[in-house]
Amino acid sequence: MADLSIAVRQAGEVAVVLPAGFINAHTVRDFETVLEGLVQGGQYRILINCRDLSYISSAGLGAIMGLIETVREHGGDILLSNLQDNVFAIFDTLGFTQLYKVFPDESQALASPEAGG
Amino acid sequence: MAAKVDHAQFRLIIPSQTRYLNLVTGLAKRASVVAGLDDATAAKVSIAVDEAVTNVILHAYRGEGHHSVELELRFTPQALEVHIWHSGQGIREDQLVLPDPSEYIKHPRKGGLGLLLMSRFMDEVRFRADEDSGRNECCLIKKIS
Repeated sequence: MADLSIAVRQAGEVAVVLPAGFINAHTVRDFETVLEGLVQGGQYRILINCRDLSYISSAGLGAIMGLIETVREHGGDILLSNLQDNVFAIFDTLGFTQLYKVFPDESQALASPEAGG
Repeated sequence: MAAKVDHAQFRLIIPSQTRYLNLVTGLAKRASVVAGLDDATAAKVSIAVDEAVTNVILHAYRGEGHHSVELELRFTPQALEVHIWHSGQGIREDQLVLPDPSEYIKHPRKGGLGLLLMSRFMDEVRFRADEDSGRNECCLIKKIS
């Protein structure tokens, strides 16, 4: 099994990104490529469903941080859902849960005002 | 006659390539459980080790993949210690500046979070240079409560 695979599907105006596996310095370029491709294509409402994400290092956080200002400048946002405990611990420890909206599951994220729901 | 050691320890040497990060973090996580840490703490130790080894590969060795990174795990009754040695550019503790998370959130940017995660997730993080061998060491310690 590859360290990381990434699926993307559309849910209304929101692009749902589903990373599966590990995001570290080795795999982060694939993650960045997917996110940057969405933003360059004018997709500014992005939900990262972390259901199958086992692990994320600061390299992965940096990929998200690098795009947050751009998407918000265009009236969009990057939302997070279904975080496993260890992934939530990283975001929470660094205070990033203040910067990103975190939802228990995808349906609640898609129904939120930030997703246009 | 082999020297007697007062704690369990073993070493792993990997090439300075990020493809081996998953191997190292998996080992660190399982070693933490063996040392008596709970699963949540073991996950934090593995992240700290990921960040430390990534720093060595990308910064100390500037992404050059032909060097080696040596890890030593030491199991003592009080703590799990992870020692990481390399021959690249060292970090001086007196030059370390950890980012302020609140400033980071106000002005998002890439990079700078690895050291912060290491310091938050471990009880001690030390950097030192061994003048005799010319190598640099990063030592991560997690106490067993």
